[in-house]
Amino acid sequence: MNEQIKTISITVNGVVRKFIIGDFEGCVAPSEVLLDTLRDRLHLTAAKRSCERGVCGCCTVIMDGEAVASCMVLTADCDGKSIITLEGLSDPITGELNPLQRAFADNSAFQCGFCTPGIIMSTQALLWKNPNPTEAELTEALSGNYCRCISHYQVIRTVMGFVEEINKEA
Amino acid sequence: MKKFGHISATSYDEASKIVREGNGTIDPIAGGTDLLGTYKDRLLETYPEAVVSLKNIPGSEYIVEEDDRLLIGAGTTLKAIASDETVKKYSQALAEAAYSVASPIIRTTATIGGNVCQDVRCWYYRYPDNIGGRLNCKRKGGDTCYAIAGENRYHSIFGGMSTGSCSSCQHACPAGTNISAYMAKIRANDWEGAAKEFFKYNPMPMMTSRICPHLCTDSCNQNTYGEPVNIPAVERTLGDYILANKEKFYAAPVNTTGKKCAVIGAGPGGLTAAFYLRQAGHEVTIYDAHEKAGGVLRYGIPHYRLPKAIVDEFCDALEDIMGIKFVMNTKVGSDITVEEIRTNNDVVYFGTGAWSQPVLGLDGENLTQFGLNFLEEVNTYLQKAIGEEVLVCGGGNVAMDVALTSKRLGAKKVKLVCLEQRGEMPADEAEIKMAEEEGVEIMNGWGLGKVITDTEGKVTGLEAKKCLAVCDADGRFNPTYDEADTMVVESDFIILATGQKVDVSFLGEALGAQLKTARGLIDADMESGRTKEEGFYAGGDAVTGPDLAIRAIRAGHAAATSMNRDLGIDPVAVLNAAFGGVEAAEDKFVHFDVDGVEETAQAKLYEKPVEERTLASEDRASLAKEEALKEANRCLNCACYAVNPSDITPVLVMLGAAIKTTERTISAKDLFTQKLTVQQILNKGELVTEIQVPKAAGVAHYDKRRVRDAIDFAIVSLADRFVVEDGVVKEASLVFGGVAPVPYELPEVEEYLIGKKLDKAVAKEASEIALAKALPMGKNEYKVFLAKDVVYEAVCRAAGIEKVEIPVL
Repeated sequence: MNEQIKTISITVNGVVRKFIIGDFEGCVAPSEVLLDTLRDRLHLTAAKRSCERGVCGCCTVIMDGEAVASCMVLTADCDGKSIITLEGLSDPITGELNPLQRAFADNSAFQCGFCTPGIIMSTQALLWKNPNPTEAELTEALSGNYCRCISHYQVIRTVMGFVEEINKEA
Repeated sequence: MKKFGHISATSYDEASKIVREGNGTIDPIAGGTDLLGTYKDRLLETYPEAVVSLKNIPGSEYIVEEDDRLLIGAGTTLKAIASDETVKKYSQALAEAAYSVASPIIRTTATIGGNVCQDVRCWYYRYPDNIGGRLNCKRKGGDTCYAIAGENRYHSIFGGMSTGSCSSCQHACPAGTNISAYMAKIRANDWEGAAKEFFKYNPMPMMTSRICPHLCTDSCNQNTYGEPVNIPAVERTLGDYILANKEKFYAAPVNTTGKKCAVIGAGPGGLTAAFYLRQAGHEVTIYDAHEKAGGVLRYGIPHYRLPKAIVDEFCDALEDIMGIKFVMNTKVGSDITVEEIRTNNDVVYFGTGAWSQPVLGLDGENLTQFGLNFLEEVNTYLQKAIGEEVLVCGGGNVAMDVALTSKRLGAKKVKLVCLEQRGEMPADEAEIKMAEEEGVEIMNGWGLGKVITDTEGKVTGLEAKKCLAVCDADGRFNPTYDEADTMVVESDFIILATGQKVDVSFLGEALGAQLKTARGLIDADMESGRTKEEGFYAGGDAVTGPDLAIRAIRAGHAAATSMNRDLGIDPVAVLNAAFGGVEAAEDKFVHFDVDGVEETAQAKLYEKPVEERTLASEDRASLAKEEALKEANRCLNCACYAVNPSDITPVLVMLGAAIKTTERTISAKDLFTQKLTVQQILNKGELVTEIQVPKAAGVAHYDKRRVRDAIDFAIVSLADRFVVEDGVVKEASLVFGGVAPVPYELPEVEEYLIGKKLDKAVAKEASEIALAKALPMGKNEYKVFLAKDVVYEAVCRAAGIEKVEIPVL
């Protein structure tokens, strides 16, 4: 086992976080995945631990602008990366939801809500790159996010409505 | 996930060195989307101590356009490839394939380098250890593929592929016979091919099928479902076929070498050595003390198990057809010295066996008969004066032969005592059963005390003592007795079949001092047969002590191999020339019979009822060829039948791409289609660094059929490229994914399409040709229809036929 002390820094929701990678008490184990670091060390529990195989999308976060399954990324590989979780979308001081989150809430675009953080992150990653997606582009972007309660229809309706709204405003 | 260390590599060369020096304890990890799942489920028995991450190697992520090709860094994500305009322009198929992988949140992480090296998705292979034990399938170094007789909906329709390790039956066979290979030839009704396959290991199936205990059947994976394949029965029919065509199979060598070889001992090992030496073109002379050749095959095994006519026919073939010289009735050491033989020959092989009686030290031992001598006499004259009440001592196969022979000679009563309990007896279960069937009374758990005589010195019985344990705590043969617990077994004729001894006094004093071991055996290397004295080789019982004939056959073959090598002959070339060498490229896939493997009962040899059995004629009869073929259909042909899950590799093969590694540049075809896994071709620590994709002419696409459009792997996929001018095909290139263990090329379809004016009829015909060689497994025939449909659609698209109905299904 590599006993060398190695530090990494990851910008999480705009804040630089430093970690020691190693097997000592309190360190991030070299085999730890990003999801565990976010949830268990930073207590950012919006990203959900679900299938843990990259299949369901409940753990989706945005890394350097791309939606990724945080359960399939080693924290040790994230040195220098910028991560945004659902917590990072709302206003850090007031806690006010961002407009996309607001739209999900206003339209009840969820059922139990377990998959919703992942769905919002995938949607947000898409909208930052492409503020005016077609419905086909949206469904494709969400094809790695599963919802067991079948909230997909509300989600698509909500997001397409939201897109129409903001583009109208613009 | 169990813990492991993490090393962040800064270059591929550094990563390569770390992996190489890690010696199997360090895995390279690229995107990690395949590998982390493997770790999380503990799929493999080996778990890395550390991973070396390729993710942060600077400059590993790029797409560069050159004049005639695109260079793609191995660390490039699938998302980047799928959305790159240059890739879309020159290799649309590659962009489509990348886009089809998994889901958007995976494609942002997964790399092309990792994709082409990914592991299979077979559900038996991936059965998670944390759910109740990993399934140790053939691909993981286990014995069999569970998909053969199990659920195989998503598996291959073009056969399986060798995992690089032999099947468990071959592993169990002391001679290493590739049983599933000759079974496959028999299934194809290619008996000559089967014979040639067999001869690569053993030249006498007509003998071994009758006398070998067939350890292979114990390891047969049909045992999981029912009875093992009756390998000896199939082998026996093959042996019959070979004898019926002996001119072909024991032909004299075409070329002669002028070298002279001597073989001492005409038993199974010596005859085998002689066969492979003669095959190489040497002049071979066999010396033996007996009147006729065959050794233990002739003198030790009773006629009813191995008819001597068969031994005659085999030995005559070696002598009359092959041209091996037999010098019989010649006791080496007294009639001729070893030195004399050595002077007249370039090499000498000792296959002298174990023919001597061990002295047990019993009171009255001189009044008993020695089992092997007894058999030898009966086998020679087919008669012998026998007592009324025979007592056989010993629990092995020789003891069973002696007991049955005594019975069939007319002894009123035959009893047998042995040290072992019933379940521990070294004899084959079938032989023990046969002895019991014919009235031999077996007394287990008794050791020999002393021979009891009457006042005139006539044998009246044996005092036996209770055997408490046969082996000591270390598992070594070291019987313990209760000396107080004795019984007397009445008998007027005692035969000791408690083992044989090796006698190497024939070597003479000088050579004996060089070659004899402390145990009185010949000191020779077990692998090569070489002794310390140049030119002398040895194997079989003389080297190991009494053992199975098949081990002597292996030793004779191994010694002949090293003798050939030492005489300057390439033994592999000799074998290949005689029996066919490397399998043709299209033979890389192996198959099994879908219905045959479902049969759980084995075909049995016809066996005479007890009252018809005699001393002189064989108890069992061979299966007819069709019956043997049917039994060969039961062979699972254990290999890996999982399909290649990568969407990228079929495209790379189709486009004629090249893969750059830390060591070389290799064509996609060589890296992805020749062996079951990429890892079998890459060296230890060799890493994929770049994909070089030619800008191919025409229009290329990738079509993928699956249940859901996201996440799912291909059930069938097709990478295709067409150059069509004025409606006529100039170039066509098609490769299937998801239907075989490796990307499956379709040269026949390409050939058919070139020069054709495309229409629906041509598309239909192309789809038929594409699947002509398909041999679906039990439950995946639908993949054949699906694959036809994919081809049909692709050809229609190339023809510009837009709306395609479903014509094939």
